[in-house]
Amino acid sequence: MPRMASLTLALCATMVSSALGQSSLHDQIDALIEAKAAGPLAAQTSDAEFLRRVYLDFAGRIPSLEESPAFLADADAAKREKLVDKLLASDEYAKRMSQVFHVMLLERLGDHKEWQKYLQDSFAANKPWDVMAREMLNPSAENEATRGAALFFSKRLENYGQNPVDVPGMVRDVGRLFMGIDVQCCQCHDHLFVDDYKQEYYQGLFAFVGQATLRQESFPAIAEKPLAKKVEFMSVFVKEPKKVGPYLPGLKEIEIPVYANGEEWEIKPDPKTKNPGKLKFSTLKILSEQLPSPDNQLFKKNIANRLWWLLLGRGLVQPLDMQHAGNAPSHPELLELLANEFAAHKFDMKWLLREIALSKTYQRGSQAADDAAAEAPRESYRVALEKPLSSEQLLASMIAATGESARAKPDELQERFAKAFANPPREPEVEFSPTVKAALFYLNDSVVLGWLKPAPGNLAARLFETKENGKLAEEMYLSILTRLPGEDEKKDVVDYLAKHAANRETAIRNLLWSLLASNEFCMNH
Amino acid sequence: MNPLCKPWEHALSRRQLLGAAAGVGASLGLSNLLHPVAAEEMKKKAKQVLFIWIDGGMSQLESWDPKPNTLFGGPFRAIPTSVPGIHVSELVPRSAKIMQHLAIVRSLCTQDNSHSAGVARIQRGDPKNRGVTYPYFGSAVAKLLGAGSSGLPPYVWVKPGSSGFIHQDAGFLGPKFGAVAFGDGKPPDNLVLHESVTPADDDERNALRAVANARYAKNRRKQVGEATSYVYDVARTLMKRQDLFDTTKFDPKDVERYGTHEFGRHMLQARKMLEAGVTFVKVNSYGWDTHGDNFNGHLSLMPKFDQAFAAMVQDLADRSMLDNVLVIAMSEFGRTPRINGHIGRDHWPEAWSLVMTGCGIKRGLAVGETNAEGTWVTSKEFDIGHMFHTWFNALSIDPKKTEYDNGGQPLPIAHDDCHAVKELLVG
Repeated sequence: MPRMASLTLALCATMVSSALGQSSLHDQIDALIEAKAAGPLAAQTSDAEFLRRVYLDFAGRIPSLEESPAFLADADAAKREKLVDKLLASDEYAKRMSQVFHVMLLERLGDHKEWQKYLQDSFAANKPWDVMAREMLNPSAENEATRGAALFFSKRLENYGQNPVDVPGMVRDVGRLFMGIDVQCCQCHDHLFVDDYKQEYYQGLFAFVGQATLRQESFPAIAEKPLAKKVEFMSVFVKEPKKVGPYLPGLKEIEIPVYANGEEWEIKPDPKTKNPGKLKFSTLKILSEQLPSPDNQLFKKNIANRLWWLLLGRGLVQPLDMQHAGNAPSHPELLELLANEFAAHKFDMKWLLREIALSKTYQRGSQAADDAAAEAPRESYRVALEKPLSSEQLLASMIAATGESARAKPDELQERFAKAFANPPREPEVEFSPTVKAALFYLNDSVVLGWLKPAPGNLAARLFETKENGKLAEEMYLSILTRLPGEDEKKDVVDYLAKHAANRETAIRNLLWSLLASNEFCMNH
Repeated sequence: MNPLCKPWEHALSRRQLLGAAAGVGASLGLSNLLHPVAAEEMKKKAKQVLFIWIDGGMSQLESWDPKPNTLFGGPFRAIPTSVPGIHVSELVPRSAKIMQHLAIVRSLCTQDNSHSAGVARIQRGDPKNRGVTYPYFGSAVAKLLGAGSSGLPPYVWVKPGSSGFIHQDAGFLGPKFGAVAFGDGKPPDNLVLHESVTPADDDERNALRAVANARYAKNRRKQVGEATSYVYDVARTLMKRQDLFDTTKFDPKDVERYGTHEFGRHMLQARKMLEAGVTFVKVNSYGWDTHGDNFNGHLSLMPKFDQAFAAMVQDLADRSMLDNVLVIAMSEFGRTPRINGHIGRDHWPEAWSLVMTGCGIKRGLAVGETNAEGTWVTSKEFDIGHMFHTWFNALSIDPKKTEYDNGGQPLPIAHDDCHAVKELLVG
């Protein structure tokens, strides 16, 4: 009941605010960011910069040579808003968001085609985030359309290499990824530096999910054992026995009903038919009702913070999984506002992403007035933060840039790119760290170098056929960097090609490579 | 070193040197590039570190501080060493023979008994908490000594498992001071210049990339540009040093002496890296957490360590490198004297040992004492902070005067309240 009440309240609040003619969310975002900026704001992006940024964020690739000129030439004042809406409505949006949430939630632990289908279908239908969270936290094998959601748990219930199943890691991941709290240290004691994080945080969450077991099926599936009594634990520092039942931070501990032995089941498990049975008291079911709720501050702030991070390059709370009183958000009111408005809009992800994308804060340039201004504190958002392209974005963008869409097989190449550019499993892909491995891949990978050789219809072939070197420079810059070259850049290209006229094919390859390997291409700026 | 120099600038100047040599039509090998006298002079000056990390906890009682025939002493005997009066476990006979080169510390008393926190705590020197993440020793040395003239990364980590660029080690110093890890000693992927690209074209395309990056960097944050330039510089230098990774070219006699096991291979590779001029080489040995069956565990692990360690020290001594290379072998803690119900020893930071030698370190001595049963330190206790002070001093870096500058925040390089252990230092 209290949940309904607060939902109604939240809805009322929105209606009141719009009735009073209060500004849109994107205007409120800008007001709150600018109020705390304490320094000069970088200029807004040019159309070309915006075009590239928004394609990378919502389509997961740079725009093609056909898509760019149309937008740049469009004189409509509302063209940015129209482009955001077009991309949010495209099939590529669902693909891009599937990639983002796959990497975020599975952290490259593994994959399954039913999980991919689940993500793809969910984002295509713009399924609310709370519904998705519910489906992942209490997956139903009976519903074929959503059963892939079980991979969140089932992958973590498998042996990891030669290591046994990492149950504490699974408990931790539920906290980190759905509530933005890292309770790892609380397995053994209250967190030493974070006053908020009590041992009950870990143990209470463990009481919810510790009964999950892996089912051997061709699709991702889990089963659940009954929970008969509270979890007993003791701090390694304070040797005092304690107990806790299923419990989420800020909410009430769940009473565990007592059943006679064998009476725990509504439907008993049957090994013969492989039916996992159905519990009368399912902690996963309760978890899926309690956790993804508009009443749960940690839940709604976590997802608001993560979507903000996705578009802005830095969480309002950073690290993303360290929400606690000692690590206040850079903009507490803004995080509150985003979380509440998102909940009031029934966790409509397209709505929130659209509002953020329409803000001036999102559309700010990554180039400051001078080098000193460029070093503005990251949390001030005065200068847009550059976001490294994920391995998925790099692959799709390289294919688009080199004009290899007809030949390249991204599904087969994804693993190759992930190996070179992605973080190792279990390491969140949140912060920028270039690697020698990635540099070596760029320098010597045969697939990448192959795309730079002229082949029917690709960029190298088109440039090879372009006799006028100024034109060649323009097509090359537009194809790879989504902008025209500056005068100095154009001159460099013309001079370079003149100097290497005898080896034109190689010269073109060197030029193409230098732009593909450049920071300008490898970052979303 | 000019404090404004960046490691990759040294790498660049090395390449400029290469370019210049080629330009005058000389076809010289790498070793001939520098004037022999100058090369000899540089060799003398450049200080290096070999840091052997024994992950999980080596037992001091089965290595450097044996207590035979006592309550917790275990089954192994103590043996005399080349230094009269110093005895070590019979599990390290080869190290015993070269004790005249070694310095043992038996009075370590540190703060943490968990691996997850202890590994980082020890390798960071456990400084006072100032709200920043301190660099690991390797990143600290990479920063303070620089990359030298080799053009190779200043901090290389030879370890089992995967390769990569371990930026986490660098803490607030930033990713460029992280470790380049050679997983299982293997070279990173794509280390060979692609057959379709000539060395001249490789230079050309990278020069074009540098121009594009310089234009892009204007009025932008420096972090991206610096970090990517650095990884490309390292990648390209590594591509030119195939000799460091091709284990098939290692001298079979060396392979035999260091041991045909993983740790032996990795130590031999570490020697090649040191010879090539890498400033800081870390070698990891895993699997030392002997909570169960401690004695069989050490019976299997110690000889491998002993073989490769003694071969390394002997080789460095034979090559006149021991005066420049500081060598340290240690864990995150020792093991409990008390033998548990699984015939194992648990974590024991209260009284444990490490061994070192090389640059600036007095040799042929054992510093500190524990009680008869090895449970507590009876001499002055040394924390990891004391070791950091000692090591920095050995490398001619004064930890009482040298500070990091973390964006304006001055930070001591070692724990403020600790000091160097004079008995361990030459002069």
